[in-house]
This record gives sequence, structure tokens and C-alpha cells, in this order.
Amino acid sequence: MDERLSLTELQLIIKDSLYMALPDMYWVIAEIAEIKVNYSGHCYLELIEKQNDNVSISARIRGVIWSNRYRFVKPFFENSTGESLREGLKILFKAKIEYHEIYGLSLVINDIDPAFTMGEMAIRRQQIMKRLEQEGVLTMNRDLDFPTVPQRIAVISSANAAGYNDFITHLRENSYGYVFYTALFDTPMQGADTQAGVLRSLDRIALNTDNFDIVVIIRGGGSQADLSWFDNYDIAFYITQFPVPVLTGIGHEKDLSVTDMVAWQALKTPTAVADFLIECMVRAEDQLHETGRAIIDMSSAIVEQNKNLVESSRLKLIPLAKMSVSEFRNELSDIIINMINTGKEYLLKARLIPENQRSRLVSGSVSCLSVNKNSVQSVKKDFSSGYEVFLGIKRNEIAGYESILKVLDPENVVKRGYTITSLKGRIIKSVNELSKDDVIDTRFRDGSVSSKIV
Amino acid sequence: MAKKEFSFNQAVNEIGKILREIESGEMDVDRLSAEVKRASELIRQCQKKLKTTEEEINAIFKDLS
Repeated sequence: MDERLSLTELQLIIKDSLYMALPDMYWVIAEIAEIKVNYSGHCYLELIEKQNDNVSISARIRGVIWSNRYRFVKPFFENSTGESLREGLKILFKAKIEYHEIYGLSLVINDIDPAFTMGEMAIRRQQIMKRLEQEGVLTMNRDLDFPTVPQRIAVISSANAAGYNDFITHLRENSYGYVFYTALFDTPMQGADTQAGVLRSLDRIALNTDNFDIVVIIRGGGSQADLSWFDNYDIAFYITQFPVPVLTGIGHEKDLSVTDMVAWQALKTPTAVADFLIECMVRAEDQLHETGRAIIDMSSAIVEQNKNLVESSRLKLIPLAKMSVSEFRNELSDIIINMINTGKEYLLKARLIPENQRSRLVSGSVSCLSVNKNSVQSVKKDFSSGYEVFLGIKRNEIAGYESILKVLDPENVVKRGYTITSLKGRIIKSVNELSKDDVIDTRFRDGSVSSKIV
Repeated sequence: MAKKEFSFNQAVNEIGKILREIESGEMDVDRLSAEVKRASELIRQCQKKLKTTEEEINAIFKDLS
């Protein structure tokens, strides 16, 4: 062969043949192995296809998205999928084959279909969920009892993440004055280190589960927050096995990751997690007040009942006591009359007998009389002192009831800082008794206010 | 943590027990005053736990993180 070609001529022939053979745009599926955007806004990619083992590479080509397209393709893709274009992502793109004499073969990408990537992610998510379900662990964290007071919190987040600071500030500045204790386990929340980092932090928390009521996994939102780092079997499995409830605030508006789905509760943002925790505390305190109020109500009723009982006994007791006293008095006067009569009889008899014996008889009957008088007096004394003791006991009982009543008196309850809420003079014990636009009166220690339900 | 630990849950259970006893009518009047006092003390402690910082726990949490 005598004809010789310059390298450029050869390259032009290749180029022409390629353009002739492959004139169209093609829809191609590939994985992004590398992606870079240069200073002028052009996006350069390394596209690959992996074999079934997910490791060996069976095809590779360079790709480029020119800045005038990239400006539109990138936000559209990210808004649709909630994922940024990044390494490891599988995409379906429309491309034209380009051949350059110096740079060789590449694909010029014109468009990327977000629906394909979303589908891929959904399939992956489903596979992980299915595996967790088959292993029977899917709901294990969700089945844990949530602590009444979630006060001691292990935080898995990145120390300088905006989301972390939002969370801490929100907890600290809660308007109820609740105290929370947080320990940050600093963890990368994005990128290839996410899995190892989260697992390491969970390991460290697991050594101290007695010190924690709950674990929260949080990070800031925004389009930079790729959800798929949390579509991870290992992280999800560890959470299902964790002995303490896990809450997530991974900051994703559109979708839930697998991590969210196995967590005890998934919330959209770190601030929402903080709100959730504060609400738990409010519920616990409300419950406390409600029980306290019920105890006061019930006890007041019991005291009231007993007071009535005591009062009615007292009313019965007085006439009864009076009656028995007057009966005793009658008996006494009978005895005295008897004695006087007996004495008189003796004296009359004595008149009939000789003088010497008479004086003996008189003195005998006088002494007899005085003995009897003494015994009557002592009986009288015993009776009245017994009666005093009896009345004293009853008096003390009544005083005891009175002191209980004092403790439970609404006046004193209000003094201790409780308030009494009423509607048209009727005391309100449940929110269900109230409806919109009702004007309620709240009674405090030092006065009342009226407020309207909105 | 040598200090005897106050448990919110235990306190809530005890308060609930007192309430149930009063509700069921098993509470006699002689004990009523003491039990109501006990319940209000427990409620006070629970509230304190919700709203007062315990230096001890803070220190532990600093060590852990």
C-alpha cells in the first residue's frame, strides 16, 4: 500500500465514519464513576457499566455536559430526584457520539431522565426493605417502648452541620424550660464514609445505652442532602437491633430513606425532631398535672363525705348525751330521796327506844348517810370525767378532718401554684368541655383573668 | 452516680397508684392526708426533674461525646 495518511487525515476518516454510522442521539444507561465541573461550568463525567458482581467494569467512556445544558439539566434532575448528580448514581441520559482528533471518543450529554434514577433508587430501597422484612427485624426498633421523658439524647450528626445547631438551639430554647442532655457523636452524614461513620457512632452509643433515652440521627436539609447514603442495609439493620428508640431528621422533603423507615419515628427536619421531643415532655407534664388534679378532686369528695358523717354524728351525739345525763340525774335523786327516807325511818324508830341507844343510832345513820353521799359523789365524778374524755376524742377527730380539708381547700390549692379554669362559673376539668370562642376564667392566687379559646 | 436516682417513671407509677386507691374507695381517711401529701411531693420532684439541670448528668454527657 503506497498511500500514506497523516494522523490528522486518519482521525478525520474515523470521525466521518463514526458520524455516518451513528448520526442520532441515543438514550443510554450508565453509572457515574467520576464527575467534575470546571471553572467555566462544563461538566465532565466518567461513565461506566459494571458486571453482575457489581465490581468489575465491563464498559467505560468519557462524557461531557456543556455548561449551557448543564445549567438546566442539573437543577431539574436534583429537584425531581432529591439527589445530586454524583458518583455511584445510575442515570439514563440522551447523548450524541463525539470524536475529537486530540481527545478521542466521548459522549455529549444533552439530557438526563430523573424518573429512571428515581426508579432505580426505589427498587434498591425496596430490596433492602424486603430483606429486612424476611429477616424479621423490620419493625423491631418501632416496637420498642418510647420513654415517657426523652431527656437524655445521643445525637448522631456532624458537629458543623447547620441541622445540628438548629436542633440544639431549638431544644435549648424551648419555651417550657425543659432540660435536655445531649451528647454529640460526630459523624460524616454525606459521602462514602457515611455508612462506616454511622455504624461506628452507633457502636459507641451501644456501649452506653443505660445513659440514653433515645438516639437521634440528624443533618441539614437542602439539595446537597443525598438520601441514598441512608438507603443502606447495614445502617438500617443496626437500627432495628438497637435497644433504644431511634429518631431521624435527615432533612428530606420528598422521600423516606430505608433508615427513616426502620426508625422508631422519622421526621422531616432536625427542628421537627426537637419539636417532637419537647411535645413528649409537655405530654408527660400534662399527665402529671391531670393525675394530681384528679387526686385532689377525689380526696376533696372523700373529705366532704366524712365531714358530713362527722357532722351528723355530732348532731345525734349531743341530745343523746344530754338524755343520758338527765337520766343519771333522775336516778341519783331517787337514791338520795330513798336514803333520806330510810334515815328518817330510822330516826322515827329511834324515838321509840331508850335514850342511850338513840344517840348511837343517830350517829350511825348520819355516818351511813355521809358514806352514801361520798359514793354518789365519786360515781358522779367518774361519769363526768369519762364523758369529758369521750367528747375530747370526738373533738380531735373532727379537728383532724378539718386539717385535711384545709390542705385540699381550693384556696390553698391555688396558693400552691395551680390554677382553676372555669367557664360560666363551672369548673373545667377537660379540654373536651371547651369549644372555640368560649370565654374561660382562670383563677390564680392573686386574681383572675378571662381568655378566649381560639 | 452514688446519689440515689429519682425515676420519673417510678414516681408517675406511684402517683397513679395513689390515685387508683383513692378512686377505688380503698383509701381510709386516716391515710388520705399523708398520701395526698406524698403525691404532691412526687409531682413536685417530677417537675423538678423536667426543668432543673443536674450537673452530674451534664458531666457524664461531656465525657461520652
